[in-house]
Amino acid sequence: MALRFEILGRFNRARAAQLTLPHFVCQTPLFMPVGTQGTIKGLATNQLEEIGCQIILGNTYHLALRPTSELIDELGGLHKFMNWPRALLTDSGGFQMVSLLHLADITEKGVTFQSPVDGKPMLLTPEESIQIQSRIGADIIMALDDVVRTTITGPRIEEAMYRTLRWIDRCIAAHKRPHEQNLFGIVQGGLDPVLRDICVKGLVDRNLPGYAIGGLAGGEDKDSFWRVVAQCTAALPEDKPRYVMGVGYPLDIVVCSALGADMYDCVYPTRTARFGTALVPEGVLKLKHRAMADDIRPIDPTCECMVCKNYTRAYIHCLVTKDAMGSQLLSYHNLYYMMKLSRDLNSSIIQGQFPEFVCKFLQKMFPKGDVPEWVCNAMEVAGIDISSCCAPFTTSQD
Amino acid sequence: MKFSVKAWSNGRARAGVLLLGGCPYPIETPALLLTTRKGLPIFISPDLLPSLPSPDSHLLQFSPLHFLEDLSPKTISDIGGLHQILGLHEYVFSAIPRDSILCLPECNSTNKTGASFETPCGRRLIKPVEYMEMISSMKPNLWATLADEVPAWVSEKRNKASVDRTVTWLDDCIRLNQAGGAVFGSIVGGLSVEERLRCAKEVMKRNVSGFFCCSLFSA
Repeated sequence: MALRFEILGRFNRARAAQLTLPHFVCQTPLFMPVGTQGTIKGLATNQLEEIGCQIILGNTYHLALRPTSELIDELGGLHKFMNWPRALLTDSGGFQMVSLLHLADITEKGVTFQSPVDGKPMLLTPEESIQIQSRIGADIIMALDDVVRTTITGPRIEEAMYRTLRWIDRCIAAHKRPHEQNLFGIVQGGLDPVLRDICVKGLVDRNLPGYAIGGLAGGEDKDSFWRVVAQCTAALPEDKPRYVMGVGYPLDIVVCSALGADMYDCVYPTRTARFGTALVPEGVLKLKHRAMADDIRPIDPTCECMVCKNYTRAYIHCLVTKDAMGSQLLSYHNLYYMMKLSRDLNSSIIQGQFPEFVCKFLQKMFPKGDVPEWVCNAMEVAGIDISSCCAPFTTSQD
Repeated sequence: MKFSVKAWSNGRARAGVLLLGGCPYPIETPALLLTTRKGLPIFISPDLLPSLPSPDSHLLQFSPLHFLEDLSPKTISDIGGLHQILGLHEYVFSAIPRDSILCLPECNSTNKTGASFETPCGRRLIKPVEYMEMISSMKPNLWATLADEVPAWVSEKRNKASVDRTVTWLDDCIRLNQAGGAVFGSIVGGLSVEERLRCAKEVMKRNVSGFFCCSLFSA
């Protein structure tokens, strides 16, 4: 175990904690930007520090291809390679293989696929994934799991869940740096509560430093999504971090935090920035829209970031999709927004203001009171009263 | 604008000092202007600019044509000019209609009413009136007058015409000038020393703060 997890505040299931990792002391709930190829597209590492980024995610698959984990190891590890002094997390490589490569095949040995470099058949085993991640040197490494999208039904999901449990033992056996790197297990099982429960119990038995909830964020309906998160957070140990993989919409993060999750990652904020979309308290703002061409307000008047303090929507509009600077500035703003969301979640829980924060958040996003039903249901389970934001005619107007 | 020469070499080279606009530091010359796209150096966001050497990196080039169809002169005025749009009040912006990548002079389409450029929005004919409208809204510290730039291989007649037009447009720009800023008179003439001298003599008769030597490198 190379981490410490200390809960500093609670509201029902939600918790604010201090997560001490080898490279950085983090405050949760937190959002991790995705730095696929050893970099967050459009931002320098000093900018990431400035906006309060705590952990960055690196994709093992991409790094193993270019520049290779051996080279990264030779050069002192990914922290040194990308000049990032804070914490890093690497995924196992499994997800990209399955999502990016049409000819990937999963067997008991591992994931076989065609190398995109030369077409050679290659095999990613649990052992190999852990070795690659060991060379990259992140603070948190992920077990290789058998990922199946929740939109698939049938015996494949059960097969994947049991295989994930068999593979975690192989990952644990291959993990040679337990005092410097934390191996997180990933709960699979599709949308089936029985399978999810078996998987949680199996992983908890292995006494890992932290647990991830995987297999979501792949197109399942929102109602199923929150129920799986709720079930898993209820069953996972209190005193260890819980990471919901692939979750990045601000609304989803607020809901999952209310249900007891601590960590999130997603390409959404940076990817949507490259398409000209900014994250704002009301939802999103599409800077490409013609109406932005002479709008001289900042993207978000309440935002304190460098972009909102200096630039108008009109200027960003003239940049987006034409000049790289547009993507850079929007990525900066969007990540600032996510970092602020993380800080606000953490501080509101610690200050005993979490329900108020949730209500304010929902009121901004749904000013007409049309909060989606799945959010209302999830908040009920989380024990948070959002009736003031849900009614069509809010009492606050009296 | 204040410019003074501090030292001369044995030949013609000289070292000087330039004081311009809101930039609080004097800039030593010879100086390199940083190329920008829409006012910002490519890939260097404004918060990273201070990591470049100062004050040398405070001298920025831009072409007003970068903003064609993207930001109207009216919107630019409403915001308050280029320095306000970019939040870079301590930087010196130099407006030059052509740049070497995006806004290339298209001499075959230029006529006596205006200069033609290949821009990101296609080929555009820019007349002095339109050019000065852009300059007035953007309020750069320093701007070059509209010129008829031609490559070295045009006929003598075409080359002469480019000098005549450039001087006429210089007068138009000065007359239409509401922006303030230091006016740099453009000097054309291709590779003909005679024409260059003729152009330079005409420009010197007008009240300009400096000189912009056009197309010294042409295909």
